[in-house]
Amino acid sequence: MKYLLPEQLAPFFASLEATHEVRLPILLPDGTRALGHPGDGPLALHGGPLPGKPTAAFFPHEGGVFTAAAGMVSTPPAPEKPLLVAGFTHRDLACLRFIDRFFADGWRDDIYFRRRQGAVIVGVSGYCGPGGSRIPCAGGECDLELVADRARWLVVPYTDAGETIVAGLPDAAPDGALERIREEAAAMIDENELLIRRASELIRADRVPDTFWAEIGDRCIACTGCNLACPTCTCFGVQDLRYAGRVERSRMWDSCQLDGFMREASGHNPLGTESLRTRRRIHHKLAADPERWGEISCFICGRCDGVCPTGIGIFAVARELVERYGGE
Amino acid sequence: MKRTLTVCPYCGTGCMFHLVSDGGRLVGVEPSVTHPVSRAGLCVKGWNAFAFVHHPDRLTTPLIRRDGQLRPASWDEALGLVVERLREIQGRHGADSIMVASSAKATNEENYLLMKLARGVFGTNNIDHCARLCHSSTVVGLAETFGSGAMTNSIDCIDQAEVILVIGSNTTEQHPLIGSRILNAARSGARLIVADNRRIRLARHADLHLRHRNGSDVALLNGMMQVIIAEGLEDREFIESRCENYPALAAAVAHWTPERAAAVTGLDPGDIVAAARLFARAKRAMIVYSMGITQHSHGVDNVRCCAALAMLTGNLGRPGTGVNPLRGQNNVQGGCDMGALPDVLTGYQKVADPAVREKFARAWGVDGLPDKPGLPLTRAMDAAAEGRLKGMFILGENPILSDPDQGHARRALENLDFLAVQDIFLTETAQLAHVVLPAACFAEKEGTFTNTERRVQRVRKAVEPPGEARADWEIICALAERAGYGGMRYPDPSAVMDEIASLTPIYGGICYDRLDPHGLQWPCPDRGHPGTPILHVGRFTRGKGRFSPAPYRPPSELPDDDYPFVLTTGRTYFHWHTGTMTRRTHLLDREERSAFVEINPDDAARLGVRERDRVVVTSRRGEVRALARVTEMVVPGVVFMPFHFTEGAANALTNNVLDPESSIPEFKVCAVQVRRAP
Repeated sequence: MKYLLPEQLAPFFASLEATHEVRLPILLPDGTRALGHPGDGPLALHGGPLPGKPTAAFFPHEGGVFTAAAGMVSTPPAPEKPLLVAGFTHRDLACLRFIDRFFADGWRDDIYFRRRQGAVIVGVSGYCGPGGSRIPCAGGECDLELVADRARWLVVPYTDAGETIVAGLPDAAPDGALERIREEAAAMIDENELLIRRASELIRADRVPDTFWAEIGDRCIACTGCNLACPTCTCFGVQDLRYAGRVERSRMWDSCQLDGFMREASGHNPLGTESLRTRRRIHHKLAADPERWGEISCFICGRCDGVCPTGIGIFAVARELVERYGGE
Repeated sequence: MKRTLTVCPYCGTGCMFHLVSDGGRLVGVEPSVTHPVSRAGLCVKGWNAFAFVHHPDRLTTPLIRRDGQLRPASWDEALGLVVERLREIQGRHGADSIMVASSAKATNEENYLLMKLARGVFGTNNIDHCARLCHSSTVVGLAETFGSGAMTNSIDCIDQAEVILVIGSNTTEQHPLIGSRILNAARSGARLIVADNRRIRLARHADLHLRHRNGSDVALLNGMMQVIIAEGLEDREFIESRCENYPALAAAVAHWTPERAAAVTGLDPGDIVAAARLFARAKRAMIVYSMGITQHSHGVDNVRCCAALAMLTGNLGRPGTGVNPLRGQNNVQGGCDMGALPDVLTGYQKVADPAVREKFARAWGVDGLPDKPGLPLTRAMDAAAEGRLKGMFILGENPILSDPDQGHARRALENLDFLAVQDIFLTETAQLAHVVLPAACFAEKEGTFTNTERRVQRVRKAVEPPGEARADWEIICALAERAGYGGMRYPDPSAVMDEIASLTPIYGGICYDRLDPHGLQWPCPDRGHPGTPILHVGRFTRGKGRFSPAPYRPPSELPDDDYPFVLTTGRTYFHWHTGTMTRRTHLLDREERSAFVEINPDDAARLGVRERDRVVVTSRRGEVRALARVTEMVVPGVVFMPFHFTEGAANALTNNVLDPESSIPEFKVCAVQVRRAP
């Protein structure tokens, strides 16, 4: 069993910079936690899911697609070193698995995989949730996992890449700590998960009237934060900037909560009302994706509820929906 | 990957976020999770605030007009020409023949420096900024009644109010993170009164939606106060102990019975009574207003009535109460605080006061400062059109789209002997300039902005400015140096703030090392002071609160047979003012692509106009084309247009009639006709 003491974490990540472009949770001066480079701020593995989605390391808010100039087209280069991104909770890892499949399906998104390919994913779990609460273990969905066990971090590799990275770390005698944390976590019940599943059932059983979506839509100020914070929202817009004989194409996170998202050139819009857009946001995760991918695509990370200024993130909507339409 | 904590450059809410940059280029925005105003959220403009920064249209070199064309020039030439031409004009026509327009988009330090340049170096009080167009009525009206023209309470107070009266503010669109608070408060049990004849989002959540006629706010508020006094709902103890001139108010509103107020406002008398009772019976009632109150030829009277209603019911100086004008621009509060106004130096210290002038002259090392208040921006445009004003320096404003009566604004600027514009893009106004100076945007410089709740917050540099563009403060200091003034040499903006603090009692305790992470609310008189979330606690700034009764005056131009519609102008959620930044932001511009006019379905049917039809809107001053948006958002007889779009400029239609006291234009009411485009 490999382990690291808290004071060994920062040097450990710093040592990986020789071979990887490292991104890990840091604490910014205003108290916000975010993915940063080692040395950009104090390490902040504790606190649960980062407010920003860690998948942004591979699918950033805005990024280049290509530049065309003088008859030549160039694409942004791949990172010089493979990425190593730490801070994924088990929920985040489920999101990552989902979008990996999405971006690989059929037409493969080479811009995404330019950064994602070969990246090392480091999960976090154990007693490192908000206020020291437990985060369930990720298991095999990452390359290696840091499991907070009070005074130390257990380091558990799952892949060859993970094994290589942890090879030089000290060993501790097995004491059952990992198994204990895993068992405790397995016994945890996440109320929000039950809520989301129930809401999905009700929507798919057509138990939710359109008036409900109109009411929720009335409370939406179209900030688009729900989409931008969601690790499984993969929609992007494309813009071309033309100047000095060049065209720079970039893409940026888009939002189905915007009228322009599906508006046709004629002006007709199949999602032309707030009510329809609000319904789509929830339906997509809880009804459409289960049809297409066989699973609900909300993995209970809570980020949309965290950023929504008017309290209509998916948990809040699901709660209201289940309270109102969940009776037998 | 670097994160830089800074303040949103759009509205006066003052949300903070981290600009995310990679390799010297902005790639995104992440909200500040701990920020007391934005609380981990942002609006759509905030989420996209990085997107215009690297736009290829950014100005990258100074430009000088040669042979009728703006052509690239060196900084040396451009700065030299600006100073030379302004000095030459002053030499020929006097110090007050030039006007300096500062910017509510620029930092406090930059507003201070430009004010110092105008007064200390060029010797004129002709300095103003776009507060003239948005809240000059507030500054006049609240200074007279309370002694301070700023939002009395904090945004947090929304959570504590029992009743919120939102009058003339489309809060969820124009101050979205404040609007969200109001919306949440209403859902948590606060009672909401919305007085606005557009069916704004907040109206859908209101207990009472008063769709009064445009420009009838004085009648509505006087009517409410009449009911409150007639029914004995006034706060007698507060009135007696904290206020003065109450008998004048009581006499002035006595005849504003609900029936009379209803006749002027077009409301049901019962709704006026209901609103009065709801507001007056609450333990904590708050007034939130914005440009629906201020942008009238009687804007100051509207503000006086808001102030009177709050005093009458004792709703000041406590949490969950107050008169809360929501300032429009990111730093319009700061622009005013910094004395970018024709009659005051920093912290509202009057230029007419010899002791104040003496203090500033000594600190700046100049022989004396001008004592006569200068021209408000709107009056300066009139003076330019009439040939009385010869030169203008405009920093970060675009009057061709933002000022009333575009034809007049264009004539005014074209009539100048010399126009210099300092901006980040070649705006419609910059296109008319003789010299254009390229400036850094918010993401490329250090400084502070002051939000609507008087919170002074740090703006930080995340990336380098494009090409040769420089921070506004650096350009202003270079101009001062050119003009032969050696008193504007600063190592950085923090040193400028130290100077501001030394001269400005309300900013006395502001310094950069105290502003992390989320700023301080003025008044903050010394380094040990924690800032002031609520004004007028126990005592008004002026001592006693003064009731200033206001008579009802109708808008200057009302509909008639030739121009049968009221045009009211404003903004949309997705664009900012003249569109300089948001129309260069892909997702925002995609959302609202073109000029539109909201028209009620009944009117549209009568005119044979359908959704998205092209219509022609004509006033006595101009004519524009726009797409029809057929909607019950507006009442019959009223059309609404946003002023963002150069190709359908609402301000080609508006009326350049000014409030006599504040010189604010009547953007909210003019008469137009609407017809289908041929």
